[in-house]
Amino acid sequence: MPLLNDEIVEQVKEQLADLEGPVRLVMFTQTFECEYCAETRRLVEEVAQLSDQLTAEIYNFVTDEEKAKELGVDKIPAIAVIGAQDYGVRFYGIPAGYEFTSLIHAIQAVAAGEPDLSEEGIQALAELTGPVHMQVFVTPTCPYCPQAVVLAHHMAIASPMVRADMVEATEFPHLSIKYQVMGVPRTVINDTAHIEGAAPEPMVLDKLQEALEGAPE
Amino acid sequence: MFDFKLTQPQQQAQPGLDEKQEDLVYDLVIVGGGPAGLTAAIYAGRARLETLVLAGSIPGGQPANTDIVENYPGFPEGIDGPELAQRFRSQAERFDTRVVLDDVTEADFSKMPFTLRTYGATYRARTVIVATGANPRRMGVPGEDEFYGRGVSACATCDGFFYGDKKVVVIGGGDSAVAEGIFLTRFASEVVIVHRRNELRATKIYQEQAFANPKIRFIWDTVVEEILGGQTVTGVRVRNIKTGDVSVIETDGVFVYIGMEPKTEVFAGQLELDEWGYIVSNHRQHTNIPGVFVAGDVQDPLYRQIVVAAGTGAIAAMEAEKFLGEYPQSKVEKVVALGGTCD
Repeated sequence: MPLLNDEIVEQVKEQLADLEGPVRLVMFTQTFECEYCAETRRLVEEVAQLSDQLTAEIYNFVTDEEKAKELGVDKIPAIAVIGAQDYGVRFYGIPAGYEFTSLIHAIQAVAAGEPDLSEEGIQALAELTGPVHMQVFVTPTCPYCPQAVVLAHHMAIASPMVRADMVEATEFPHLSIKYQVMGVPRTVINDTAHIEGAAPEPMVLDKLQEALEGAPE
Repeated sequence: MFDFKLTQPQQQAQPGLDEKQEDLVYDLVIVGGGPAGLTAAIYAGRARLETLVLAGSIPGGQPANTDIVENYPGFPEGIDGPELAQRFRSQAERFDTRVVLDDVTEADFSKMPFTLRTYGATYRARTVIVATGANPRRMGVPGEDEFYGRGVSACATCDGFFYGDKKVVVIGGGDSAVAEGIFLTRFASEVVIVHRRNELRATKIYQEQAFANPKIRFIWDTVVEEILGGQTVTGVRVRNIKTGDVSVIETDGVFVYIGMEPKTEVFAGQLELDEWGYIVSNHRQHTNIPGVFVAGDVQDPLYRQIVVAAGTGAIAAMEAEKFLGEYPQSKVEKVVALGGTCD
């Protein structure tokens, strides 16, 4: 039984019809598949069928440790969406529910390689003084979450200093507890700063600056 | 869990707005991107008014927060709230209205053209429609702020997931409390609906569904006194307003659906408000300031329905068009000097 119904398949095909370049969906699972690893792998395989520009690469988190390290993947299930470059766009946990939209959008954005941000935003990101890791905690039924995820991913595309993850909160309870996530979306920045809700671009940029300024030397 | 939805992801502040906003005067700026604002945008676009929608940081309004909408006409099978919100927006954009995800922080209606300031820019308009909607009302009890986001929520669709096989309490007795209570039974082992009256205000069909749901129980004539917990919420202390009895309900989460507060802070002192804080309007959606119109929940304490908001949005846009026609001297192409007025 495929995960995606016919209606969604048609819609996705349409959305991906004009992909501007090839995109690799690099997915990490393991032999004894974790809670949603199997479904995430199947999802990646099904989505990859929907465009000639898409390829699915499935790796084993344990035996392909080197590959995981290379891509900075530290937990599974993980999907790295990679185009001509690796912009640091990641999905941890299954992108189900509304987050499926974020996955399709990430594929389109990575293929284009162009961030959909304001000019000021792109400028501010070009001037970042240190690396930024954004972790956007979501749940699949949260309708505001894709907005926060998509914004973070565009920031990752805009700057080589930024990498951004969707983190599905219920699959990583230890992280949800560590970052005190009980309401989503919650964006954690460099482990030190956080924003609740789907904040507008200027507010998120301010937080990035705040996180960098608060960093120990 | 394995439901895969494909809605249009919201676009960020449109990179294409390259004209300096301060030099432009829009025919109409709509403040608010929910059903009222977006319906006004459809009508304004079709009337060929130069229109801008300042949709706030979370566009779509309350429908974007709602799992399924079953009472908006045209959708016999019901429709996902966010999908409906997206369709409103797509329709507005089809008629060339610009939608910008910006929050208005200041408004000046003391002279024409009107000025609206946001987090990122300043906009000027010959007419304005205020359609800012409403925010969830808070109970104002101890523990509520402390645990907000850590066990207290006003968004069941966002946060319901954290309560799989856990107990939740829903506060309220209207459509939202009951509908979202039913939604929460997908995850929670138990949903307790606490209401200060002894009967629900919710639409009958919601009541039927709730009463028939084995996971839902009701506590009547009761209000919350305090939210209790340590790292996270562990319970609510409640008081029966008829008997005075105080007790504690053990719970892992509290969802508050006790009504909405109109979002009017930005306009206070300029637009007339009624005693409950709603913007005063006549049946033609006029406010006390000529050229400023109002639509949607921000001026509707009674009905608060998507279809009603859409209706008032359409009226407001038609009235704005009429106003622009009647005051041709306000159709100045560009105001060259900042602060120049139109008489």
